[in-house]
Amino acid sequence: MTTRDQHRDHAAATARPRAVRLHPLTFVVGAVRELIALLAAGAAGLAVGGLSTAFFFTLAGLAFGLLVHVAGWATFTYTLYDDRLELRRALVGRSVKTIPRDRIRGVDISAALPHRLLRLAIVHIDAGADGGEGVLNAVSRQEAERLRRLLLAAPTASPEEPARAPRRVLARMRPRWFLYAPLSGAYLLTPFALAGSFLGTLYNLGDDLGLITRERVEHVGHGVVGLPRAVVVAVAVLFVLAMPVMSVVAFALFNWDFTVYERDGSVVARRGLVTRRSVSLERRRLRGVELTDNLFERLTRVARLGALVTGLGDASHRGRLLPASPRPFAADLAERVLGSIPAPLVGHPPAARGRRVVRAVAPPLGLAALALLAGRPAVAYGCAVLALLGVPLGLDRYRQLGHATDGARLTVRSGSLRRRQVVVEHGAVVGWRIRQTLFQRRLGLATLVVAVGAGDGACPATDMAHGDAVALAARITPAWVAPFLEDGPAADR
Amino acid sequence: MRRTHEPDGGTPHPPRLRPPAHRVARRAMAHWAIESALLWALASGLAWGVAAFVDEWDGRRRWDGLLGWLGERAWWLPAAVVAAGVLMTAVTPVWRYRVHRWEVSADVVYTRTGWFSREWLLVPVSRIQTVDTEQGWIERLLGLATIEINTASHAGSSEVAGLPADVAARLAEQLAHRAHDLRDDAT
Repeated sequence: MTTRDQHRDHAAATARPRAVRLHPLTFVVGAVRELIALLAAGAAGLAVGGLSTAFFFTLAGLAFGLLVHVAGWATFTYTLYDDRLELRRALVGRSVKTIPRDRIRGVDISAALPHRLLRLAIVHIDAGADGGEGVLNAVSRQEAERLRRLLLAAPTASPEEPARAPRRVLARMRPRWFLYAPLSGAYLLTPFALAGSFLGTLYNLGDDLGLITRERVEHVGHGVVGLPRAVVVAVAVLFVLAMPVMSVVAFALFNWDFTVYERDGSVVARRGLVTRRSVSLERRRLRGVELTDNLFERLTRVARLGALVTGLGDASHRGRLLPASPRPFAADLAERVLGSIPAPLVGHPPAARGRRVVRAVAPPLGLAALALLAGRPAVAYGCAVLALLGVPLGLDRYRQLGHATDGARLTVRSGSLRRRQVVVEHGAVVGWRIRQTLFQRRLGLATLVVAVGAGDGACPATDMAHGDAVALAARITPAWVAPFLEDGPAADR
Repeated sequence: MRRTHEPDGGTPHPPRLRPPAHRVARRAMAHWAIESALLWALASGLAWGVAAFVDEWDGRRRWDGLLGWLGERAWWLPAAVVAAGVLMTAVTPVWRYRVHRWEVSADVVYTRTGWFSREWLLVPVSRIQTVDTEQGWIERLLGLATIEINTASHAGSSEVAGLPADVAARLAEQLAHRAHDLRDDAT
């Protein structure tokens, strides 16, 4: 897109907006995946059966795939109107997708490896639940940036804004943080996931080519069972050693040069080594943050930061603001993105402690009793040990419970093995739910669920004193709660 | 300012929510009873099937310990399910009726639901996105309706069941109108 084109687009108030095609190289990146799969299949076919029919099928499939991609490119256009974005597709059936511009909540630019080589980018347009999502599969980088700027600009902003608004870096990750990767469970499991997906791909490929027969599978199975024990142990040890190393590698792949900066009223997070992702979160839609950590991360004072944004799909991935990073750093970024975090947290009444412990201990204890009755003492002992471990777990769960509020935000914390502290603006609250089981009623406790129109929608403050739960809701939104308070001596003290 | 954060909840008179003003229709008890009876009848049927299966299987005497003991008494299962069903069908509709209440003030929908555990739900009209009225076939027989109030958050979405159909229709229309007027951009 040249500057002249841009001028033409900006002058679109009078002229009819132009329908734009994706970048001409789109079909190349679209076909790359098929190309690789088909080339691999073709090579395999060649190796196994010479110039067999499978190989010709491969070639025909390749040609057909390219044709489909070219046709798809030729029939897809997008048009940016003053009030909406229209995506037209006319390959098989005609379809027009209209995304109202005031519904657009985020524009997410990413680039997989083929895109990066060709200097292209994928643009995801997020428009909340009732607007749906639009994807522009490949546009040039400049066009992606231009679209992001235009789509995320406030509707009143004049188009004559400087092309590049000042960009302020809020946080940038340090390479040292890659060492935090083994602390999180997910990254530790990457070697297994990699091995699994590799074997799965191999199996599918072989299956497609008719290479996998029952006898061969059984043969391999017998071969594996027949391996000497030393080899099995060696492979297992290798895997265990590979876990931390691979976790660091995977962490680096996803989070390379994680940078959070601010531009045009949006907070943008860029990350990734091979696939570079950049997610824009509109600042006025950013209603809260969450700090999560697990047991190991807590011991090393590390936390992850996520954003709670209204209408952002797949929030756990796309709302990420910081990977595992030192806790003060994460808290500092949270304060700069959202504002001060209410502190100190108020603990919950001692009656909640017993409840946490009972709930941690009871399930394994029950299983142990059942196992004992069923005559399986080994299982019973295992469960009894788990029940014993449940005591410190329950105590810690109680210790982590807490809530606090100040003039503008409230915060709620819970969980032990996976602890989560949510900070939400008062304005993001869309309702209050107070839940009380019969057991909680006898202890004078209640769970206050703060309904929030962002993130996963609910922040429960478990086992508050019932009166405190009501009082907290009444303090944050007096107009909603006060009409329903009982007239007591305490009511208007 | 009210005292809010006493770690031990030790205020002499902590604030309490009063129950919402209106009960649901008495016919709602019939609705819950029919629903519960049907559900438990289905469960009893399943339990009976399981018992018959276990009875057959038990002829081979392959279990020992607890499982064997249970296997010999397979027919206790449907009996227990039927007993539980009768008890639940008799007790829960009345219990529910005593708990379920609703009220719509100028700008808040306030409901109390549940039986064993209770839930108080406060949803401001300004945050309502959609209001639906629904009628299942039992409700249609009894002339009842359910109003579903949706906000941007699943946790903040409310349901008022067991309203007389005409009240529900009027209320839904009224709420939808007011929600449209008051709607602010929190989401």
